[in-house]
Amino acid sequence: MKQANLGLIFFPAFDWMISPGHPERQERLLYTRDQLTEEGLFDRPEIREYRLRMAEVNDLQRPHVGVPSIAKLITPAHLASAGGCLTAADAVMSGEVKRAFALVRPPGHHAMRIVHGIRGFCTINIEAVMVEYLRSRYGIKKIAVVDTDVHHGDGSQDVFYHDPNVLYISFHQDGRTLYPGTGFPNEAGSPAAWGYNLNLPLLPGSGDKEIHRLFDGLIKPVLDDFEPELIINSAGQDNHFSDPLASMSVTAHGYAALADKLKADIAVLEGGYSIEAALPYVNTGIILAMAEMDYSKVIEPDIRALRTPDPRCMTRVEQLIDQVGTIWRSRHEVGKMLLDKCGNKWQRKKGIYYDEEGIREEQLETAHYCTKCSGWMSIDTNARGTRYGDQSAYVVCLHRDTCADCQKAAYDDALRAKQSCAYKYILLQHPDTGVVETI
Amino acid sequence: MIYYLRRQVFFARALNITLLQFNGRGEVMLLGIDVGGTFTDAVLVDSGAVYAQAKRPTTHGEVLRGILDALDAVLDGADVTQIERVVISSTIVTNALTEGKTQPVFLAVMTGPGMNVKGCFPVEPYLVSGYVDHRGKIAARTEFNKHYGLLDRQSGVTVAAVSGKFAVRNPENEYVLAHELKKSGYKKVFLGSELSGELNFIRRTNSAYFAAAVDKTFEAFGKQVEWALKERSITAPVQILKADGGTLPLEAALKQPVEAVFTGPAASVLGIEALGAPQGKSISLDVGGTTTDIAFWDNGEPLLAKKGAMIGRYPTAVRSFHMRSVGIGGDSAITKLPQGFKVGPERAGRAAALGGTAPTLADALIVLRLADFGDREASVNAIGTLCHDGETTEAAAQAILDAALDVIENAIKEMLHEWSIQPVYTVSDVISGSDFGPQQLVGVGGGAPGLIHALGKRMGLPVIIPPGGMVANAIGAALARPTVAASLRADTTEGYYLIPESGKRERLPKRFNMQAAEEILSAWLHDKAGGWQMEGNETEVISREYFRTVHGYYDTGEIIYLRMQLKPGILYKITGREVAF
Ligand SMILES: [Zn+2]
Ligand SMILES: [Zn+2]
Ligand SMILES: [Zn+2]
Repeated sequence: MKQANLGLIFFPAFDWMISPGHPERQERLLYTRDQLTEEGLFDRPEIREYRLRMAEVNDLQRPHVGVPSIAKLITPAHLASAGGCLTAADAVMSGEVKRAFALVRPPGHHAMRIVHGIRGFCTINIEAVMVEYLRSRYGIKKIAVVDTDVHHGDGSQDVFYHDPNVLYISFHQDGRTLYPGTGFPNEAGSPAAWGYNLNLPLLPGSGDKEIHRLFDGLIKPVLDDFEPELIINSAGQDNHFSDPLASMSVTAHGYAALADKLKADIAVLEGGYSIEAALPYVNTGIILAMAEMDYSKVIEPDIRALRTPDPRCMTRVEQLIDQVGTIWRSRHEVGKMLLDKCGNKWQRKKGIYYDEEGIREEQLETAHYCTKCSGWMSIDTNARGTRYGDQSAYVVCLHRDTCADCQKAAYDDALRAKQSCAYKYILLQHPDTGVVETI
Repeated sequence: MIYYLRRQVFFARALNITLLQFNGRGEVMLLGIDVGGTFTDAVLVDSGAVYAQAKRPTTHGEVLRGILDALDAVLDGADVTQIERVVISSTIVTNALTEGKTQPVFLAVMTGPGMNVKGCFPVEPYLVSGYVDHRGKIAARTEFNKHYGLLDRQSGVTVAAVSGKFAVRNPENEYVLAHELKKSGYKKVFLGSELSGELNFIRRTNSAYFAAAVDKTFEAFGKQVEWALKERSITAPVQILKADGGTLPLEAALKQPVEAVFTGPAASVLGIEALGAPQGKSISLDVGGTTTDIAFWDNGEPLLAKKGAMIGRYPTAVRSFHMRSVGIGGDSAITKLPQGFKVGPERAGRAAALGGTAPTLADALIVLRLADFGDREASVNAIGTLCHDGETTEAAAQAILDAALDVIENAIKEMLHEWSIQPVYTVSDVISGSDFGPQQLVGVGGGAPGLIHALGKRMGLPVIIPPGGMVANAIGAALARPTVAASLRADTTEGYYLIPESGKRERLPKRFNMQAAEEILSAWLHDKAGGWQMEGNETEVISREYFRTVHGYYDTGEIIYLRMQLKPGILYKITGREVAF
């Protein structure tokens, strides 16, 4: 079988929605399906379409711990969209295709490590599920995730925050003007992974020229420097000028040209809610670019509605190239300094709001460091107003290389938490197998 | 009110159908003719049984003589005035395409924005401005004054094909362009939106192109058939078999001649259905002289492919069965390899047992006592010449059989895989899956019994060999049902519905919903069939979609998409007759 340029996993989940009238609704990819079918893209020899397979709950539990459990928080649609990413990973790793695009719903980049419900339309971080699968199944170590959704992928940032082998780069509309309100350059990773979480908040109105300057001036050189084994693109499409939830000015051609430059091994659909005016064209553009076909003729019918960005947008881009470039270049020294300062333990407090369900969660996350291994983590979580009432849990997360001493310390810590009787659940996560033990 | 009236029409039609439909006993005479590459078969079916059947060599270059020969053989003594209907299946269109005997076509497309269509069509198209968006809104009209030469017809080019992206959502631009082209002297203009109501601009365009390209050949063939029948005083209406197993009146087929491509395999599938459709999940194998046609069945119905047929390397919108042809048949040549053998795809001619010069697969079957005809001694001698060092004749025959079975089994495995990986778009479809677990094999055709029994043993599946498989193709043609498919799309925000196959675009009746859509489309299909004097069939829904549309945060309406057809298949089952090999 000849290798195709692009493996396409198209799964519009026509029978799944969050609630009636919600932007994450059944017909979100209807017009996209119409456009792709009408273009005849599914017949092209450059493109091979795949039927997705369902993920297993354990696949989801490699990056996630659900309270009370992942199984109780998801619908079959989540196993399908995560499964679509695994199908994409297999297609690329087997060599059947050069690269793959999981054009699937529901999305995932706002889902964090601990899951109590739906936030930002997401329950399961499908890219994180795929990253951990690539490691367990194929032994891949260094992965870059480039998030081109208009929203800050705070879930992806959360999951990868301690991991120096995942470089997470997100550009997005400035958090002061858009959900979820995070994603500033100073959120650059925990001490052990400082500089591997790069946030690039853009001013509202930024368009093709701005994102391409940002890519050429910063993202591309950083990627070249990092030398990942695989590049993953969280291919949200809400930077489009017609998106109803955001205020940017990117075009279908701008997105396609970016996909062409990025040459991601695997792209995964994230947001994008201009279902009539943007998605059909942006997806056509990205697919053509990834399949190494001509995308120059992909032009939205209402391109005249596009406004020229304010010059301050480009000024911000130049500042970011400078500021975040410095973070990247100084990551080793700064990381060492931070580690020296915090000793064998680093803590952060998080208040997390689940907009979809009105859940308020308080977290205390502790990274335990070790000189022989990557250490382990403990998370104390309290959530009010979940669909299972108020929840409390103490979660201990092992890393893949956690040494025997650290494993013992982690188990002891979990037992201590249990004896304290302060938590409803004591859970212990094994990232390699996705097994979550109840202590 | 309109809605109410339509209901009435619908019910009246439904009643008519029962009256007009052939009854289960089949008390009419039907004539089926299959003009194949090697043989022209004719079959006369009367009162639910094969009354007469004949196989005559196809006369290349002068198809008519073969048809007449076969006709004369089956009509001998029959009362031709009793013949109700004649159905022809023919490779004429397929051959015209594979041999490149087509006429020049002017192809004009309106692509709008999107994929670059360079290389997508058999000829480079004239790119015309104007396009329709995915909701069916005309985003731009054709600016004729900007296209110099568009309307200057080249001498010798008399047919044109016109196709626009999303023309199935709004065919207006196609109509305007076709109208202008006709004014400039094209005799016939084929429209993509009329050849298929389904999305896929590339496939519709190719369908329109091929329809135009074979138009002349097909028209000539139609005239020859009509003349031959008239010559034998047959006045019954003539229908043409399509690749999806339905039939079309000759007159309607002239408007979409590309539908008459690949009818040979379709006829064979229908023949199998007529001779006792396989129940449960079955795989049928029609073993001919040079090829074996493999088809899938679910509860007595052959499965249609999810996508249209390929013509050469071009995908079209022509619907066809999920089937595959492999180069293994009774006359397959055997090549001796250092280890083992290769069987087919070349044909060696008749078996040594029947006086042929080279050993064939049939000879191997005879040696293994899986077939019994001709001179067994001759088969043993012929296979004997192929033995490897120290190999017995039996062992060589077995190795030859295994090599043939490998080819067939691999094709089946690929078809099963293809079926199982077809993408699905809903969570419930992912969960329910679409694996096809075959429960039995059905063999027809001259070489079937021995070969398929051996295959069944290997695959661990029971085998059924219905009698009468020799002329299954012609039987299938004789009994094929008339059919026509069409789609309806309504976007309630726009306030109209469209049946692209007809260009019918009308205001939505009050209280419009899926059920009302089904009634409208069903009535239209029966109207269409009535207009062609086709016997009515049951209509069935091929696919339906329903979406509430939201603009911003507000509910704005509904999108209803519906595709229905007059059910293809056979009129009734018959008992076949055993024929000596
Ligand atoms: Zn982003
Ligand atoms: Zn987003
Ligand atoms: Zn350790």
